[in-house]
Amino acid sequence: MSEATVVARSLTYQVGDATLVAAVDFEASDGELVAVIGPNGAGKSTLLNLLAGDLRPTAGDVLLNGVDASNALPGDLALLRSMLTQREPIEIPYTAAQVVQIGRFPHRRDQNNNASRDAAAVADAMESTGTTQFATRTYATLSGGEQTRVSLARVLAQDTPIVFLDEPTTALDVAHQERVMSEAVLLSRQQRAVVVVLHDLNAAATHADRIVLMNQGAVVAHGYPRDVLRQDLLSTVYSQPMVVVDHPFRDCPLVLTADKQR
Amino acid sequence: MTENSEPVANADPYADRRRWLAPVVALLLTFVAWAALSFGAVAVPLEEVFGVLARKVGLSLFAEPSPQAEAVVWSIRMPRLLLGFTVGAALALVGGMLQGLLRNKLADPHLLGIGPGAAIGAAIGSAAGGVQGAIAGGVAAGVLTSFVIRRLARRASIDPTRIILSGVALGAALSAWVGFVVFGSDRARVPPIEFWLLGSLTGSTWRAFWTVLIFVLIAGVVMFASARLLDVFALGEADARHLGIDIDLVRTVLLIAAGAAVGATVGAAGIIAFVGLLIPFLLRRFTGPLHRHLLWATLAWGALFVAAADLVARLAFEPIEIPVGLVTAAIGGPVFLWLLTRRQDV
Repeated sequence: MSEATVVARSLTYQVGDATLVAAVDFEASDGELVAVIGPNGAGKSTLLNLLAGDLRPTAGDVLLNGVDASNALPGDLALLRSMLTQREPIEIPYTAAQVVQIGRFPHRRDQNNNASRDAAAVADAMESTGTTQFATRTYATLSGGEQTRVSLARVLAQDTPIVFLDEPTTALDVAHQERVMSEAVLLSRQQRAVVVVLHDLNAAATHADRIVLMNQGAVVAHGYPRDVLRQDLLSTVYSQPMVVVDHPFRDCPLVLTADKQR
Repeated sequence: MTENSEPVANADPYADRRRWLAPVVALLLTFVAWAALSFGAVAVPLEEVFGVLARKVGLSLFAEPSPQAEAVVWSIRMPRLLLGFTVGAALALVGGMLQGLLRNKLADPHLLGIGPGAAIGAAIGSAAGGVQGAIAGGVAAGVLTSFVIRRLARRASIDPTRIILSGVALGAALSAWVGFVVFGSDRARVPPIEFWLLGSLTGSTWRAFWTVLIFVLIAGVVMFASARLLDVFALGEADARHLGIDIDLVRTVLLIAAGAAVGATVGAAGIIAFVGLLIPFLLRRFTGPLHRHLLWATLAWGALFVAAADLVARLAFEPIEIPVGLVTAAIGGPVFLWLLTRRQDV
């Protein structure tokens, strides 16, 4: 991966009278992992869908490596960015390996691609997500956490310079949360731009290079974890008293909830 | 690249099961073809059947067939057999395709209402232009109904059972309209209501066979070309889009193909129920879920199912013929019920 940039300028998305995303400026470059956090209904997932070109913005635009996301051909977009969405059930009994293999679909027209490259990409993706042992298992019979990891492997197999992950740690136990987040960091270190929507503030604190905090469709703060994860700011945005301390072992903040009376 | 990369990607638990599908179906198709050409009100011995076939390609081999045997085998039974094959192949193929496209194992062209919709157009067409008119009307109305289903599917995509229910409701309403058209038309020109709603291959002609074959071939090529896309669709719309598929375009093209293929079969043979549901469902256990394997198998096994059911329809209550759709429904209905009552697995 050589270059990867996500640039959004005054991005706005309205449905009827509701403004779900309001004049958001956003940037992510290769080599960095940007976390988008905020309370429920803050517009995080909508922002991610706009960045991925799923939704056409009411105003503003999104450039992925300089390509206008809302005017690009679907096939071209699929070579630029991949996305992990919330799990949808798969009725037809594909095996985990077949699901990951489907991630190679966008490369079918690439002249440098061939079956053995596909196979290698699938195997690597499954190995790094720890899903190799599920290869011949039917996807639908895997647990929720296992399905998420297989889906992440599918995203890795797509092998794009820009990667969007929508709440990848939901339904995972702590060990697998760490594994998925480390994998996301690793991806960014391979010169990709990785944008992750997260509910878990400490996952963002630990793994993100930069954090974007959203509330009511707008960006309230963005910057390094220590600059965004501030006690006063988080308490206001989440309407919940919060305490931010130093992580005892890691060089990052640690966010805790506090009692209302404090 | 890791050392075990090859086995992971190539591990296909179905590879062994797939291997014997083709020889078995070839054997059964041969058997059904022989029975269909030999048996009936006039029994034609195998030697004479071969005699007729040989003379059609200019060879004087096997027994010299009587003129009656030649007429029965070549003008009546052969087009009926081939039309049965074509109709069965088309219905099973469309069923397998729709199940992938709609991400729903219960999808079936007739249960969704395409069949009844096509039958209205076909009945109108037959009043105007005989079998050819019926096929043309069936194709047009089939495509139109596909678009109605497309709208329904968009609204009900969250709940697979719901889209089937809407299809059943739509089908019931459209079936009533088939009746209105039939009873309002000249009885001498338009086939009776049971032909349309229960399906029949009686009176198949070479012309009907060739016309249906052309539509099915064109639609079939489109569906086979989309086999890989269907695998991507199975992951869900959002993911399919992220993998570079123009969802609206693919869905539109495939639904037109489905409507045309099913409409042509309805025009020539009425609604033959449950083929599209049953065959892909049973085959998936042997071919595995990948559509490039499944779709090929649906062609052969769908053809076999309808041709065999037609044999039963012709011979079970001889000399009375029963509609072939009764035979397929007697087998398909219980399987559908069983499918509805259990959710997960396969």
